Formats: sequence, C-alpha cells, structure tokens
Amino acid sequence: MRILARPTALAVAVLVVFAFLLAETVAVQVKTTSVRKDPKFTSAAVAAIRAGDTLEKLATQSGWVKVRTKSGVVGWVHSTAVTAKKVSLTASGKTMQTQASAGEVALAAKGFNKQVEDAYRSANPNLDFAGVDRLEKIRPTAAEIEAFLKAGRLGESGGAQ
Amino acid sequence: MSARAKAFAAAILAAALALTGCQAVKQGAADVLASTGKVSREDADALVRTAETLRSTFADITEEEEYYIGRSTAALILSKYGLYRNDALSAYVNVLGTAIAYSSERPETYGGYHFAVLASDEVNAMAAPGGFIFVTKGLVKRCADEETLAAILAHEIGHVAGRHGLQSIKKSRLVDAFKLIGGEAARQFDSEELAKVTAAFDGVLGDVVETLVERGYDRKFEYEADKLALSYTVRTGYAPDGLAAFLRGMEEDKPAGPAAGWFKTHPSAAERSARVKAEIAALGAVPVKLAVRTARFAAAVKPVR
Repeated sequence: MRILARPTALAVAVLVVFAFLLAETVAVQVKTTSVRKDPKFTSAAVAAIRAGDTLEKLATQSGWVKVRTKSGVVGWVHSTAVTAKKVSLTASGKTMQTQASAGEVALAAKGFNKQVEDAYRSANPNLDFAGVDRLEKIRPTAAEIEAFLKAGRLGESGGAQ
Repeated sequence: MSARAKAFAAAILAAALALTGCQAVKQGAADVLASTGKVSREDADALVRTAETLRSTFADITEEEEYYIGRSTAALILSKYGLYRNDALSAYVNVLGTAIAYSSERPETYGGYHFAVLASDEVNAMAAPGGFIFVTKGLVKRCADEETLAAILAHEIGHVAGRHGLQSIKKSRLVDAFKLIGGEAARQFDSEELAKVTAAFDGVLGDVVETLVERGYDRKFEYEADKLALSYTVRTGYAPDGLAAFLRGMEEDKPAGPAAGWFKTHPSAAERSARVKAEIAALGAVPVKLAVRTARFAAAVKPVR
C-alpha cells in the first residue's frame, strides 16, 4: 500500500475506480423513445429503448448522441432523452429488475412516483386521470409528423435541431 | 490523514459523485478510501456523505417526478374544464404541437408531449409540467391560421422547456418534500411516509395549478416563452407573425371590468406584442405564410367555429 501513501496517488486510485465504473455510457431518462437511423426526429426508428436502458456513447452532434444498444444496434438519440448522471441508478435498477417485477421497479422510483400518484388518486376519486391516460396514448408517429411537415411545406430549413 | 489530503480526497470524491448517485459506487469509494489505511472507516463514510449533493431546488426534481406532477396537474385541469372531444381536431393539434416540440431545445420529456383542446369558451392556454399542453376551444376559435395556433402551442412548449411550472412551487415546500423523500436513489414508502409525501405532493400541485389557472406565471417567464415560441416556430418553418397577430387581436378585444382567464394570467398583450415585434425585426430572413397551411387549419378547426 506504499503507492497509496501520498494523497495524489490516493486521488488517482479513486479516479481510476470511477473511470472504470462510469465508462462511456448514458442511460435513457424518458419512459420510451427510439434510437433513430439519422440524427433527426423524422428519421426511421432502428431500436425501441426505455427508461433505465444503458447505451454506449459513440459520438455527439448538435443535440444528438450516437449510441450503440446492448444488442449492438447503432443509431442516434436526442440528448434530452439520455443522461450521464443516471448510469449508476441504472446499475441499481438492473439489480432490482432481477429481484422484482417491472411494476415494483416502477414503484421504487425516487420521490413523487406512481405509489404517490395512486395514493393521491384514491384520495381524489373525482379527478379525471382516465382522461390523462387517454391523452398519453395519442402519440403521432415520425411518419405522420414528416407527412404533416411536407404537406405544409415546413421543416425545409432542417426543422428539429 | 492530513487535513490537506482529506480536503483533496473530498474534492475528488465530490467531482466523482457529481457524476453518479449510486449507493454501490459510494460504498466502493468509501472502501477504497478506507483500504488505504490512511483514513478511518468512519472518516471515509463521512467524506462520501459530505460529497453527496442534497436536493434543494426545482432543478433537482427528476424527469420522472416532473412527469407525475404533470399528470396530476393535467387531471386537475381536465376535471375543471372538460375535454373537447373531436378525434380529427385532437390528431391535428397533436401532430402540429409535436412537430414544434421537435424544434425546441427540449424535444424529449419523460412521458412526451401531449396536446388537448378543452371544452371551454374562455380564451386560455396552459402547460402542465412535463409536456401536457391545453388550449381552450375559445382560444382555437380566435386563431386566424396555422401560424397563430403554432405560435400559441410553441409558447406553451417554451414554458415546459423552461420548467416554468415547476418554478412556481414554493421553495420551502420543495425543501420540506425533499427532506421527507430522503437521499436514497429509489425507494418505496411505508404507509406513514406515504401519507406525508402525498400531502407534500398535494401542496406542490396546489402551487402549480394556482399559477397555471389563477395567478399566471411571473412576467419574465411569459416574455421568455414568447421569445422561445418565436424561435421554435421559425425553426419549424412558420412565418413569425402568428403570435404578434394573436396578441394584437386580444388587446383590441380586451373586455372592460375585472380580468378573467387569459387576461388575468398573462401580462398586457400590448407590451408583449411590442416586444415580439422587435424580436421579429431582429430575425432577418424568415419563412412566409402559405395558403396550403391556412386551408388545412380551417378544415381542422371547423367544428369549433
């Protein structure tokens, strides 16, 4: 342990441990989204990803991150869909996934979570959560957006950043 | 371990922990420190604890928490105003809004953006945290063309992107809620904790809904959202005068007597319109309004006219 006698050596050792643990990965921070062929939202989806999935970060380009999924698919995700911060959270999430059902993992999210919403809902049975669930189901596809932009002669300057 | 060495190790840890929140990593860091023999186990644990950042402001609300705050806010808004049911109009508003959100600096949120028309003749638009965006039937009726509705939706997307709704939560309430929730990365509450956290959640929703429905945002957020709206719409390909035109119309029709709805929650349309005009002048070359868009807009909003 002579090498760790000096504080600098100690600091280097700590950093090496962290560098190993963090690597060049990002974690998905939105419920579901797609890895896309090109760095734009109207580009074809090549893989479906969900909250907690880890992706290898390969490159960045004006708001987009080039990634490789666990199954080896390479494509682009928008930077707002991923975080470098949650790599660790995902690691613990993975452990939980092997021990608990997906529902229990969702319940175990930090702070204001589904468990809290359920409690709030049962205390306020007249609130229109069913309406909110219906709203959430409406999600235009990339093809619909592209058709809309094209028909309205929009997005010709590049559209999404 | 000398004080200097301790401070140094703490700084390195703070930097490393800023990148992570993992209990296993923290434990690993404490183990590394303790294994040197230069730091006691107790010191090592204390160093790791100090380096951890405690949650204190709206910026510490996670994406997922924002989503749950947004869902309940949306439920409260839907219950108050009621949904205007028309599948074709709903599809139109959602494709239009999503296209604009893609041009914002926050195109992805935990649950995504969702747009709805409310069954109210009051002229108003609201954005719940996380991306639930509402416009009233009365507002849609007032829009002359797609450029105008695009600008209104873009303004609301600006509130979501800027996390303005979350900033209406009282600071003390948030600090108390974070204390209740604690520092663990993920957990399930027991019944006593759940009752307290749910009460805190209720308080948070009260602040957000009061701002959206009754009080309005801080003026600076409205001006910021106008500015963002201009940039999102132009980036999408819209002529930039939709918002200015809408504001001029609102100013002309301002009712006498006490302000209600949009007039109550928004700063003077004249002041906003003047600012927007100045910003447009600074833009240089911009897209122009096209008849093909106005025609599809007219077809989509026909049921509310």
